[in-house]
Amino acid sequence: MFIILVYDVNEKRVNKVLKTCRKYLNWVQNSVLEGDISDANLKKLKIELSHIINKKEDSVIFYLLRTTKYSKREIMGLEKGGENMFI
Amino acid sequence: MKKSIYIFSDGELHRKDNTLFFEGENGRKFIPVENTSEIMIFGEVSLNKRFLEFISQSEIILHFFNYYGYYVGSYYPREHLNSGYMILKQAEHYNDDNKRLYLAQKFIEGAYKNIRQVLKYYQNRDKDLEDIIYCIEKLGELINGTLSVNELMAIEGNIREYYYKSFDVILNNRDFEFDVRSKRPPKNSLNTLISFGNSLMYTTVLSEIYKTHLAPRIGYLHSTNFRRFSLNLDIAEIFKPIIIDRVIFSVVSKNMIKKDDFDDNAEGLILKERGKKIFIEEYVSKLTTTIKHRTIGNNVSYRRLIRLELYKLEKHLMEEQGYEPFLAQW
Amino acid sequence: MDMKVTGTLMQSYTICKRQVWLMAHQIIPDQEHPFIEMGRIIDDNSYDRDKKKLHFENVVIDLVRSDKDNFLVGEVKKSSKAEKSAKMQLLFYLYRLKQSGIIAKGQLFFPEERKRINVELTETNEKEILNAINEITDIIDREKAPDFVKIPYCKNCGYREFCMS
Repeated sequence: MFIILVYDVNEKRVNKVLKTCRKYLNWVQNSVLEGDISDANLKKLKIELSHIINKKEDSVIFYLLRTTKYSKREIMGLEKGGENMFI
Repeated sequence: MKKSIYIFSDGELHRKDNTLFFEGENGRKFIPVENTSEIMIFGEVSLNKRFLEFISQSEIILHFFNYYGYYVGSYYPREHLNSGYMILKQAEHYNDDNKRLYLAQKFIEGAYKNIRQVLKYYQNRDKDLEDIIYCIEKLGELINGTLSVNELMAIEGNIREYYYKSFDVILNNRDFEFDVRSKRPPKNSLNTLISFGNSLMYTTVLSEIYKTHLAPRIGYLHSTNFRRFSLNLDIAEIFKPIIIDRVIFSVVSKNMIKKDDFDDNAEGLILKERGKKIFIEEYVSKLTTTIKHRTIGNNVSYRRLIRLELYKLEKHLMEEQGYEPFLAQW
Repeated sequence: MDMKVTGTLMQSYTICKRQVWLMAHQIIPDQEHPFIEMGRIIDDNSYDRDKKKLHFENVVIDLVRSDKDNFLVGEVKKSSKAEKSAKMQLLFYLYRLKQSGIIAKGQLFFPEERKRINVELTETNEKEILNAINEITDIIDREKAPDFVKIPYCKNCGYREFCMS
């Protein structure tokens, strides 16, 4: 499945959250990552994040898309990151 | 399904923050380690031992290509699915001449039948291929009667010769005339595409072998010298016509890759970066295309078909089910 | 006592004899299969506070907790659907411990379902375990793997594509 992950966490934990997310997803722009992910990896990512964040202060949202067939991604301004098989 | 990453930029690969990091001429980028299965390196890339240790642990394979786009070699991390039993069986079927010949014949039979299938497809689209198909079928009948791998290789060579002649009929494009098969370096654009495509196919099969219990150094058709990978070359024979050649027909006939995508070089003709990327995009989309599988009952991708082929080979080595190569049905 | 038998084989034994043979020959299932991946994650991440692996002869026991005089051995599983096979695996560990003079109690954990089941070694199930050990040894010693037989379990099995290709 394809997911879009956005987070809003306390400054103290921002770095840790970003580092963890980058192991699984592609950075898109500040506080936003996206990418294809398996069910198992999503579970792993959630477990890792749950050990980092403070559930009373921080928030992470996962938008899950079974398929990207019916969605479209449009950009205004700079394309900063995202998924690309070519580097 | 983990991803394949293709690096064309020059730069350095690092381990950073427990994931992969590329720092290059066009900027910096993190590569998600948990979602990567192989990295294909075309650019001038440096890496260090720390990085290699990390990707070994993450079971990621590196495939290297030189400036011309030819396969150079792979960093194949320590096998994690070793089965002593399977390696012994693989060796047993190599050491016994009859058992080895049987498998070699099956690989060529698969290649031959899939070649014929490709040709029949174009014949149905009004391409005049009758004579070529006739000659290939005559040769195909000889496969099972061969007495040695060398004799088999000669027949395969003859089949390919006729087959490549059909490319001119199918493509009918002056900029992509086959002439004769030339390798290292390829002398014309069509040969360049064939070489480039075959290189990709070999690495894909090798990456699939990594996920099975088979040892890639023991091949049957392509002689084993216990140094180079050869089983991937064997299995690739079956899939080259239906994957690589179809990608070639599609990028040429749709004008996606044109004459000016090639550079004439003292070393032969090379495909420029733009062309390589277009080819890879088509190739990857072919690998992810799914078809309904008869015995498994659900849809499987072409890439998965390669894995299933390896499973079938394992079962043959275990002497529980005689190996029959995958045949395209359309 | 035949050392070839492991807890994993005991678990497979109640499900599929072919799997027992394949596992014993290190022909392990597709590691990218969603269920196999998921099982590994649950195994690695649940019940962190008790997390201990006990290596004992050729046996690796998932989780051990000892309070006062009770010695508790646990086994973590994804779903209670295959309760019988998980139970056999745990009984096997209890049996092996008993052989070494350690009397322990067992508990099956299904973190996803927040469920626990107590398992105890009795005279009846000890016999059952002994029979199973003998039969597993017989299966492993066979020249070839037992034939593929399609069962409902195949649907989510990591060997599915191997067997059906």
